[in-house]
Amino acid sequence: MNAIEAKSLQKVFITRRGFWRQKRKSTIAVEDVSFQVEQGELFGVLGPNGAGKTTTVKMLTTILLPTQGSGSILGHDLVKDTREIRKHIGFTFGGARGLYGRLTAMDNLRYFAELYALDPLYSKKRIPEMLEMVGLLDRSDDRVETFSSGMQQRLHLARALLHNPDVLFLDEPTVGIDPVGARELRQTVKSLQQAGKTILLTTHYMAEAEELCDRIAIVNHGKIVAMDTPSALRRRISPESVVEITVSQENAVVIEEMIKKLDGKLRMESISSLTEQHYSLFTPEPETVLEALSPALQTRSIQGLQVRNQTMEDVYIAIIEETSLNA
Amino acid sequence: MNPVIRWLRLYFIQAWFSYRALFAWSTPFNYIASKLGFPFFSMLLFIFLGKYVGLNDPVYIVIGNILLLPSLNGVMGISMTIGGEKQFGALSYLLGSPAPRSAVFVGRAFFHIIDGFVAVLIALPIAILVFHLDLEQTNFLWLALSVLLICITSTGLGFIMGVVTLLSRDGWMITSTLALAFYVLIGVNFPIELLPPVLKSISLALPMTRGIQAARMALNGAHFAELAPLLAGEVLIGLTYIIFGYALFRGVERISFRNGALDNL
Amino acid sequence: MHNFLRFARQQISVQLQIRTFNLYSLLLFFIQPAIFSAVGMVLSRAAGNAAPDLVYTVIGGGILGMWSGMVFTSTYDIRSDRRDGILELLIASPTSLRRIEAVRTFTNITASLVSLLVAVGAAVAIFHFSFNGINIFRLLLAVVILLYSLWCLGVFLANFLAWSRLSGSLVDFLELPMAFLCGFMYPITVLPQWLQGISTFVPVRWALQALNATLLKNQEISQYWFHIGMALLTATIFWLTSLWFDRKVHDHIRLTGELSSI
Repeated sequence: MNAIEAKSLQKVFITRRGFWRQKRKSTIAVEDVSFQVEQGELFGVLGPNGAGKTTTVKMLTTILLPTQGSGSILGHDLVKDTREIRKHIGFTFGGARGLYGRLTAMDNLRYFAELYALDPLYSKKRIPEMLEMVGLLDRSDDRVETFSSGMQQRLHLARALLHNPDVLFLDEPTVGIDPVGARELRQTVKSLQQAGKTILLTTHYMAEAEELCDRIAIVNHGKIVAMDTPSALRRRISPESVVEITVSQENAVVIEEMIKKLDGKLRMESISSLTEQHYSLFTPEPETVLEALSPALQTRSIQGLQVRNQTMEDVYIAIIEETSLNA
Repeated sequence: MNPVIRWLRLYFIQAWFSYRALFAWSTPFNYIASKLGFPFFSMLLFIFLGKYVGLNDPVYIVIGNILLLPSLNGVMGISMTIGGEKQFGALSYLLGSPAPRSAVFVGRAFFHIIDGFVAVLIALPIAILVFHLDLEQTNFLWLALSVLLICITSTGLGFIMGVVTLLSRDGWMITSTLALAFYVLIGVNFPIELLPPVLKSISLALPMTRGIQAARMALNGAHFAELAPLLAGEVLIGLTYIIFGYALFRGVERISFRNGALDNL
Repeated sequence: MHNFLRFARQQISVQLQIRTFNLYSLLLFFIQPAIFSAVGMVLSRAAGNAAPDLVYTVIGGGILGMWSGMVFTSTYDIRSDRRDGILELLIASPTSLRRIEAVRTFTNITASLVSLLVAVGAAVAIFHFSFNGINIFRLLLAVVILLYSLWCLGVFLANFLAWSRLSGSLVDFLELPMAFLCGFMYPITVLPQWLQGISTFVPVRWALQALNATLLKNQEISQYWFHIGMALLTATIFWLTSLWFDRKVHDHIRLTGELSSI
């Protein structure tokens, strides 16, 4: 049995514009999303803003009803068995909303513990454990309105884990969290997976997705446009390497002339600043590019040079651009 | 651009956008319900309350409640518009902009003044139809001026309550309670002469009290000479509240630069 | 049962902290009812009465305060939950929204009882209202039925409020009409017959008739039980309707996505 199953999920929102003669407008937030997540898997969902990631998560967490399609969590139907599903899932959404500011962190967790019908003796032990796990135990008696957004985000994770759910949905969990805190959170997510939980994670941070996820789905315009392991996704674009070159603005013209001679053998992206020009050359033949640039190397016209494999970010951007062009 | 023209542009453009933002989510039914529904039913409650205690002529109460309509825009509408800046997280951007505060802050009132005036224009014919209000004696010019004055002077209280709404999480509730207090304090349901001396002093210190009295007199055909003292008093009080409201906002803004009062809540 | 009591205790505690113990409630439960009573008292003086009617003008103000308190807090609960992103979390929890709202409404009404108690206190302390000759059992029963009526209405309204972002305005629109149609501050017989007919299905009207007539000591026993019976019946109809409505609301807001204000 799969932990999560989505079959042709679709979500259309109707909005109204105007005041006296209101016009109805349909917005397709999710057009057609299908995937399965095995138990114990850490599944990533990437996509640009407005791609439909959060809407998909909201359908799978029973907050929204799909307009079409079906799904299940641990074999329970999304529409018919909502109550049962809710006992077995935990979820967080990015951002600081969703907590009672006037209550303390402890009281907020007590409140949600009751909503999840947790045994009081269990809650008494579990709440401090969760607060400690997210690094908020020393702030447990402070009102949530005094917390930074990162702290509120961490409190949400504690809330989501209170009832020890089998399936976790984490919608951009590291947004607003500092790098050290984010690393700790990633370690926590990894350990949760090792403890047997199934996790669906949405994120904008490619490195995070690559580090954590067993498989990644890339969503664009409400559809899944690619889905595979991170290494397979990298290979999917093409076995390209990236030659990164930094030159001064004065030497940029010379370098570009050299690069033009390689036209057809590579794809180029460039970023310029006041004093420097940076090129990223995507090519399956990095040695050819290096050979072509060797005169510049000898005259020390190149300030910086690096050859690397494509990152997840490169892959993601390439796929998104490709699918946006085709859309 | 000429600074005066710029100021005027800013005044009218942001006045329109802030007014629209208040009602952009609404439907015509909601709009009419909030504008006329609540005041209409409060009026009926007081009419029947009056009938129960022995006041069989509802006209005094009807007129008073119609003249109160602008205050809902002036006080509630403006305080919600200003308080809404904080609620929607736009206040920091507003305070961080170079826009002249007078245009931005005082401009909030413009469309609420018009809205309040229009509400009275709609309510009067309804009152004539339903309650057989007799306008034969009415001096319409001075009635219109009195009503317009009420619309304008009530905004002074609106600005003050707007600042309260910025500072306090419960500001909306404080404003609601103040709006209810008008039923007692400014001559809506009964002459202020019936109030105990302390309350009567408060009443005379509020905007709208004299404006409502002047409007009632204009309905009965009074001329300028009889109305002048009341209108002058209303102008003076109204200006005082508007200037004070603006000064309060600027003061709180300065304090907020030091202690983040407007940013944190 | 034990679980429900524990849940209820928790909900009540949170609700009191968030809604009741702050300036908001002071204004809602004390000052707003006093304003309505003040209008009644001055109108009474304007009509040449030596003293105000204590039952309708003074105590009636307290009852209006209870009603406003219940409507305001229930409206505010849903609206602020929606705005703060908490409504989504409540819907997605295993505990039904109906159960949550039932306990919240109970808390709101119990808290707003303060308005009535203060009004009665004022009537006794300031205006020397006397409970001599009043059947205390009937009075207390009428108060309990009034609370039950308000609770059933409140649960129904809470469901309705959850239905759509715009339904809050409709509830605001209902607040004063209910006060005017149900005889909060005057006997319902003051209204024309056709207006009296409108509130036939509103439980608060019947509960108030039982309560006020008990205070005024001018009611036949059979009439009293008729009013109590009608209040119970109509209140229970509202409660049953909200049970039926609950499922529809649950599915509707998840379909439209109006669980959040963004």
